[in-house]
Amino acid sequence: MKEKIYKKEIRITIIFSVLLLLAGHSASIFVLFPGLQQGTLWGFPIQYIIPILLGWFGIAAVCLAMTLVCNKFDDEMAEYVKTLAPETDTSTENTQK
Amino acid sequence: MPAEYALSNVWIGLGVVIILFAIFYGVGYLASRKTASDEDFYAAGFSIGPVTNGLGMAATWASLATFLGVIALILRLQVPFVYLWIQWAISIPLLTLLYGTSLRRMKAFTPATFIRQRYGKPSTIVIVCWMILIMIMYALGQMVGLGQAFELLFGVPYNIAIIVAGLATVGFITIGGMYGATYNAAFQMVVMTIAMIVPMGAIMKAMGSSGWWFPPLAYGDMVPDMIKNIPTFFDMKYDFRWYFALIPAFTLGPVALPHLAMKVFTSSSVKSARWAVVWFALFLGLLFSGTYVVGFAGNYFTATTGRIIEKADQTILILNVFYNPTLVAAFVMGGAIAAGLSTIGGNLMAIAGLVGSDLLGIIAPNMESAKKMKWGYAALGLGGLAAVLMAFNPPRFLVTSILWAFGLLATTATPAILLGVWWKEANKLALIISSMVCGIIFIVISPHVLPSICVGSGLVAALGMSGGMVTIPLSFAMFIILSIAFNRMPALKAYAPTLADKKVIDRIHGWGPDYDESRYNGIKWPLIISAVCVVIFIWGLQPW
Repeated sequence: MKEKIYKKEIRITIIFSVLLLLAGHSASIFVLFPGLQQGTLWGFPIQYIIPILLGWFGIAAVCLAMTLVCNKFDDEMAEYVKTLAPETDTSTENTQK
Repeated sequence: MPAEYALSNVWIGLGVVIILFAIFYGVGYLASRKTASDEDFYAAGFSIGPVTNGLGMAATWASLATFLGVIALILRLQVPFVYLWIQWAISIPLLTLLYGTSLRRMKAFTPATFIRQRYGKPSTIVIVCWMILIMIMYALGQMVGLGQAFELLFGVPYNIAIIVAGLATVGFITIGGMYGATYNAAFQMVVMTIAMIVPMGAIMKAMGSSGWWFPPLAYGDMVPDMIKNIPTFFDMKYDFRWYFALIPAFTLGPVALPHLAMKVFTSSSVKSARWAVVWFALFLGLLFSGTYVVGFAGNYFTATTGRIIEKADQTILILNVFYNPTLVAAFVMGGAIAAGLSTIGGNLMAIAGLVGSDLLGIIAPNMESAKKMKWGYAALGLGGLAAVLMAFNPPRFLVTSILWAFGLLATTATPAILLGVWWKEANKLALIISSMVCGIIFIVISPHVLPSICVGSGLVAALGMSGGMVTIPLSFAMFIILSIAFNRMPALKAYAPTLADKKVIDRIHGWGPDYDESRYNGIKWPLIISAVCVVIFIWGLQPW
């Protein structure tokens, strides 16, 4: 179980780091793919308004998802910790000793 | 007084500022009555709820520049600077995700509290010195801006403005400690948001926009006129490397800013810290979108009226004096001052924490809580006074753009914190060497100290983007490779992480009493990260 929790923690951290970077740096995508710089939204060029929207509501949405997922993960971690004795060393090398 | 901007009635401006300061002192006084221990003083008793904290985080992050400097740079660089500014909003969420909640779990006062537990005293001194240098640069920049704002508002000489504004500011921040800084910052965020957004509605209406009812996003009908007058306004202008260079310098730098991290640590719980970040993203997004519309309107104003804004950093004031009544213009100025004060509050609290808690914790580790709190007050007051005194004749090096200092922080402190939290092999000596060497290289290759030795040129060099793209990946790679090497040298065994150091990592990730040597360990992924860093380093060295 602890291995599953550990892998989940790493996975959550990587996924949300990438999502935050994408939301905050979405302008780079329009530079990398200039073909996307076409059309308008609410009267603004797409390459202007999309980064602003992602930099506001996009980041807020990622933060909301991050909060829900990470807070649930904390509960799982707390459940696991509850099952342990006060001083536990569960590392492979130490259990082999 | 500059000819472009003048309040027609100085007394209205004075009235607005006196009312605001009276509120700040009132909040500071009430907060001081709640402060009874070092936990109260440095971390508001770890008790701040999500909405207040979200407002406080946003206010601390949004500085005087949000009202003045940023708009000037949008006027100069146009849309690319908007993109540069958008990405600031991920700093606190990323900080919270990568280490904020872990350090909140250990009840740290500053990131250096963790550095001391994880790496020991010599490494802490190195990191604390870098952080204090950057906090002084930050606070000094705000203090100078505050003096200039008072000079502008009341027409008094700069030196008198800095004495009055500086001492008044240091006074209420010192009285209130972290409780006062947080509650005041939350109130200041409300003031600055209203001051930024509401008057812009009237300005947009006067400019003929039908979207005056929601200035942050409803000015699309002004775009055709803008493109007609400034066809290049929406051009992305720079190549991909320019945009990529924002990540090392401006995303990874603020991640290690102690005054931002300290806001996360004041949360009432780890879960509350995450909820605060959601509110932060919403509040900051609203304010920043207001900044972009002011930058847009400034360009639109010059293009459609034929007027020239000589002092670009006064754009928001010029627009308000031009289109709005004096009382509104004075309130906008009050919003700008609130933005400066909230950031100075955060900076001074960080200096107090770094000196009064972290450095003093090394000298006198067994000091009792009440005494630590008294030293905190002393460090806070003295730090503020030092900033006021330096603002009279600021050292040229220290008034270098704070954006440049973000690159310095990303080079010197970010690897120490991130690798310290996520990698058990991170070595004490490797940290000291990589932080010192790369920090000095960053200073040397910037145009601010030795202009003849410089990576990049023009704005990218001045802002530390080109330098950061060299030294930040170098710092990460050097730290990783030296850690792996030093940990395998018997002669350097004293610097290798001990079992106690490694246990800190498992504990702050929430594993409680469970310790596993294999967790957050290994060298495969760190070596891959090093290889990627080397590629970025080489890319950064190519001519800009």
